[in-house]
Amino acid sequence: MQVELEVNGNRYRVDAAAAEPLSALLRDRLQLTGTKVACGEGTCGSCTVLVDDRPVLSCLTLAAACDGASVRTVEAEGDLLDRLRRAFTEEDGFQCGFCTPGQLMSALALLERTPHPSPDEIVTAMSGNLCRCGAYEGIAVAVARAAEAPA
Amino acid sequence: MARLIKTEAVVEGRTEVRWTLVEEDSTPEWPADQPPGVVGEPTTRLTAGARLSGSARYTSDMQLPRQLEATVLRSPHANARLTSISLDAARAVPGVRAVIGPGDCPQFDGEAVLHDEPPYGGAAVAAIAAETREAADEAMAALDPQWEPLGFVVDLDQSLENQTFQDDPVEYERGDAETALAAAELTITSDYLAPAQLHNSMEPHCAVADWRPDGLTLWSSTQGIYQARSQLCGSFGLDQEHVRVICHFMGGGFGSKFGCGPEGVIAAELSRRAGRPVRLVLSRRDENLSTGYRTPARFSFTIGAGCDGRLQAVEASAVMGLGTGGWAYPVLEPVKSVYACEHQHLMTLPMRLNLGPAAAFRAPGVMEGTWAFEQALDELAEAAGLDPLELRRRNHTDVDPSTGRPYTSKRLLESYDLAAELAGWDARDELRSDGRVRRGMGCASQYWWGGGGPPAYADVRIGSDAKPVLTVGMQDLGTGVTTACAVVLAERLGIRPDQVTVRTGDTDLAGHGPFSGGSMTLASVAPAVRSAGHHVRTQLLELAADMFEIAASDLELTEGEVRSTDGTLRRPIHDVTEKLGNAWVTGSGSRAPNPDGMAVNTFGCQIAQVAVDTLTGLITVERVVAVHDIGRVVNPMGARSQVLGGILQGIGFALSEERVVDPTTGTVVNAGLEDYKIPTLADLPEVECRFVGEPDPELALGIKGLGEPPIIPTPGAIGNAVAHALGLRLREAPYTPRRVLEALQ
Repeated sequence: MQVELEVNGNRYRVDAAAAEPLSALLRDRLQLTGTKVACGEGTCGSCTVLVDDRPVLSCLTLAAACDGASVRTVEAEGDLLDRLRRAFTEEDGFQCGFCTPGQLMSALALLERTPHPSPDEIVTAMSGNLCRCGAYEGIAVAVARAAEAPA
Repeated sequence: MARLIKTEAVVEGRTEVRWTLVEEDSTPEWPADQPPGVVGEPTTRLTAGARLSGSARYTSDMQLPRQLEATVLRSPHANARLTSISLDAARAVPGVRAVIGPGDCPQFDGEAVLHDEPPYGGAAVAAIAAETREAADEAMAALDPQWEPLGFVVDLDQSLENQTFQDDPVEYERGDAETALAAAELTITSDYLAPAQLHNSMEPHCAVADWRPDGLTLWSSTQGIYQARSQLCGSFGLDQEHVRVICHFMGGGFGSKFGCGPEGVIAAELSRRAGRPVRLVLSRRDENLSTGYRTPARFSFTIGAGCDGRLQAVEASAVMGLGTGGWAYPVLEPVKSVYACEHQHLMTLPMRLNLGPAAAFRAPGVMEGTWAFEQALDELAEAAGLDPLELRRRNHTDVDPSTGRPYTSKRLLESYDLAAELAGWDARDELRSDGRVRRGMGCASQYWWGGGGPPAYADVRIGSDAKPVLTVGMQDLGTGVTTACAVVLAERLGIRPDQVTVRTGDTDLAGHGPFSGGSMTLASVAPAVRSAGHHVRTQLLELAADMFEIAASDLELTEGEVRSTDGTLRRPIHDVTEKLGNAWVTGSGSRAPNPDGMAVNTFGCQIAQVAVDTLTGLITVERVVAVHDIGRVVNPMGARSQVLGGILQGIGFALSEERVVDPTTGTVVNAGLEDYKIPTLADLPEVECRFVGEPDPELALGIKGLGEPPIIPTPGAIGNAVAHALGLRLREAPYTPRRVLEALQ
């Protein structure tokens, strides 16, 4: 099945299998392996990417459903994403880093929608992204700090 | 000159005697009062750039040319005999390149990898490698396995009745517990039941194998690259030189990923047969059925003490559910080793059940044993009418109570004092109320090993750009040990840690290093790194002495410069190294042994404050004060993160994490993350984290490990806080709303 989509500003035309999840298309066909699959069942948030600016679980999203869509992954460029990267670094908002691409994309979606989130809004937006290393404090502080930082 | 020495190391409670190759070392002592600016300053992670841009390549990201995808058939039964399977039908599916069943795969560490009588639900039976995942799935459907279900045991009591042990029972005695108990002024008895906690590293177990005529390369998500290499050599009869194990980036392990795992052997065998690289990544459910868990355990204590709260005797037993693998983790170590107590009789019974093999999980045995015993101690404190912290102070010991050995350092009493002050311990009764939400505060002590030891080696080279490359034979699970090593090297070379490149996770690159377990890695590796750095420093100063015609002894490396001690010379180190052209200055270092006859332990105390909603049964951990004695703190930022991570996993154990087995089928019903609940951001408490203690005077660099300590006291402190809040004690973890409400009725 032919799928045309834009990923991080680049256009692709891909022949995807009918049941192929977006995560597999990104990782195996486009070699964008930054997006991680930790549960494959939509319960951990590691595979979060932005489709038309909305955060989605790419392991449960059919590639075929993304025809014509604009996708952003952790490999994307952008000032706000760079601010988040800096803040995650400076607040130690990760350890092993496996959940981090999903954390960053959830945080990016939050800050694009709500540039100055309250602490509760950060908790609500980020609680779907599990981190087994327990870097949550750094994550929460980093998101708040990226929101405050000058662009 | 190198020499072989005999040394002892304690790894997760097991004493190992090893012969170790050690180089002579002239590296000067690291002063305890290191000036700030080099070590002890917060240092961000060296891996940040790779991990935050998506460019870090984890094992499951590997994509080699012509790589196949593998999948594994697992038994759906708690115990069964495979009566037939259509391997040929699977081979006939287009795109399938290799299919293996029972008998087709080499053993892993002497155990079958593919079973014809799979002894638990989730045990591997057959494996397939195909061009695509879709083809592998189609072949899986074609296997059409037929099973004859067999009887099974998943209940601890039943296995005890049957006397089916997975490991030898462990009995420990000192003094005469029976007589001392009979004579004790105070006696309490209590039971506790600890759940099976699943590791759930975010990166599942995975392997990519590339079998070629000239050797095997395995990318593995492993806590021990050298262990993985040895296992592969054993499984396939290969020489070390023909096996290379690589683990560059790793998504957590927590004790479940020692060696190459059965997945490494399966991937290698499929690659051997197909003549193509093979990737095998476990699904989350397969992960939670087959790769290990913290052992569930039932504890029974009888404690005898004087009216003053001083322990006189303990009789204790622990019945552990090991499943089909694992060993007798030191679940009663907290009874044996934390407090002075003359008379003890301890019995550990490691039972075999029709469940997956247990595995070490962050402070295996000790965390769950601490959870149980520290609560029994609070029961004793109540019986004696004593403040719980005062009871612990009264039972303090200055020597290891089981061996009589002195400690290299011990600052447990300081930990109590500081934790109590930070937590507001003395006013804790003011938290209590009769309202809907009840608050309480509880404490627990922490005891662990973590002194590290040989063998560990490091190599450093520096070229014309003055940016050193450090090579260490370890792997970084994500703890931050890579960054800590850069900090240690930077101190010797007078540069910033972010100017160091650290290469790890490749058996072809470096000398031997330790597996990552037992809180041993940094304490083992850092002295070797510093020694290698010192060799390079010495050579650079000699080169500078020639260039600037100043004696090397009058020169130092500081803040990226070569400086003379009289202040007349200040030149960038680069001015010296640029003369090297394409040559390098190199240095090697090794880890010397710890002192003989001394106990090397870490200590600490945590105090938790909880709020219990008596209407919903929901417990919230509001605040945790964590004070740990870990010797020298190399990177305060990474150290705090380790503590936070341990506390969160401890909160999971105490409040929400429990593998549930259906007693009628013997299979696990919550192997997915939607019903096995690990903590989220919403569960994060306020954490006050402090480290007491100077560098350990007896240990190389004074460093003790921190991986395990912070998880150890958290669940016990929470249990004691809940009991303080409610005035009644929950004897089974996790303290789910259901259990809280049942206890309140």
